[in-house]
Amino acid sequence: MKMWKRVCLWLVAWVAIACSSPKNSRLPILGIPEYKEVNGKIDTLYHTVPNFQFVDQDSALVTEATVADKIYVADFFFGTCPTICPVMKQQMLRVYEQFKDTPNFAILSHTIDPEHDTVAYLKDYSMRLGVPDNKTWHFLTGDKDKIYQIGSGEGYMVPLGENEDAPGGFIHSGAFLLVDKERRIRGKYDGTNPKEVTALINDIPKLLAEYEQ
Amino acid sequence: MIFRNCLPSMSSKLIVPILFALATATACGGGSSEGEQVLNRLNDTEIKYFTNGKRLYSTHCANCHMENGEGLGQLIPPLKGADYLLNDVGRAARIIVNGAKEPLIVNGIEYRQPMPGNTSLNASEVTEILTYITNAWGNSYGGVSLNQIKTALSTN
Repeated sequence: MKMWKRVCLWLVAWVAIACSSPKNSRLPILGIPEYKEVNGKIDTLYHTVPNFQFVDQDSALVTEATVADKIYVADFFFGTCPTICPVMKQQMLRVYEQFKDTPNFAILSHTIDPEHDTVAYLKDYSMRLGVPDNKTWHFLTGDKDKIYQIGSGEGYMVPLGENEDAPGGFIHSGAFLLVDKERRIRGKYDGTNPKEVTALINDIPKLLAEYEQ
Repeated sequence: MIFRNCLPSMSSKLIVPILFALATATACGGGSSEGEQVLNRLNDTEIKYFTNGKRLYSTHCANCHMENGEGLGQLIPPLKGADYLLNDVGRAARIIVNGAKEPLIVNGIEYRQPMPGNTSLNASEVTEILTYITNAWGNSYGGVSLNQIKTALSTN
């Protein structure tokens, strides 16, 4: 009987651990940091997303200043994408619905086909998706090279490219990137996977909480 | 079995956390979402079509029309409860294969996103997909026959 008692207790403990998530753990900082010696001390320089300048669905200029005091989620898509984009947008809608009224939060969706996805197209696209304004969710277009540049290793570190053989003519990542106010990447989630997007939805308040202390 | 063995030997102080843990485990585990009802209106062959169709749907259609058949906002039309689909299954067969370039109106809403064709699908596969999408998510069209779809596709 004593052994059974022990087994039961272990079981309870195991279930409790398996179901709980650590509450005070900080999100990781992604990318390879650089180490620099300053006055004999080692300084850690984390990877950050560089400055940018794009235009959103309401023709508003969106730059690093737009998100200066915000954490945000970034992704890449194109309007006529026949593969993963609709699922990504369905999943991003979940994030939007949850946090659209949260101050200090934004979503930046970059088109990788700016020749087709003009401001007017993105306005129609976002309206049809159910996003009535650019208060939280910006659908960005702009200079093609600049879009690919910010997606690359210099910025969000996701694979993007034009490819005639790919469905729709582009290959791109389905990743959602969670970025903090210092523009460091704090999480990367598969935007086509509802479970990973749930993890993102859980991580956003954790990241916001870091700034409340 | 473990619990049956250990419960009687434990004080009530211990039973409470165990029940709590059980409740938590149930909540965390989640139920199976595979809730397709038994399809009384389909015969054995059609049920086979339905099952294969579900698999094909996941591969070829669900990216845009979603696993729940609800589409995406006013960008991609729903299949669930869609008059455009259920009113003319032959037309739907042709669109699955050839795609759609022109805008179309589903349940009173105009959709303009072009649909790519799936020219690699044969008539059997199209029949299976149609059997699935016209009988899933509360749609209740009934059986779709291979001959019906072969005829529809030959009138391209």
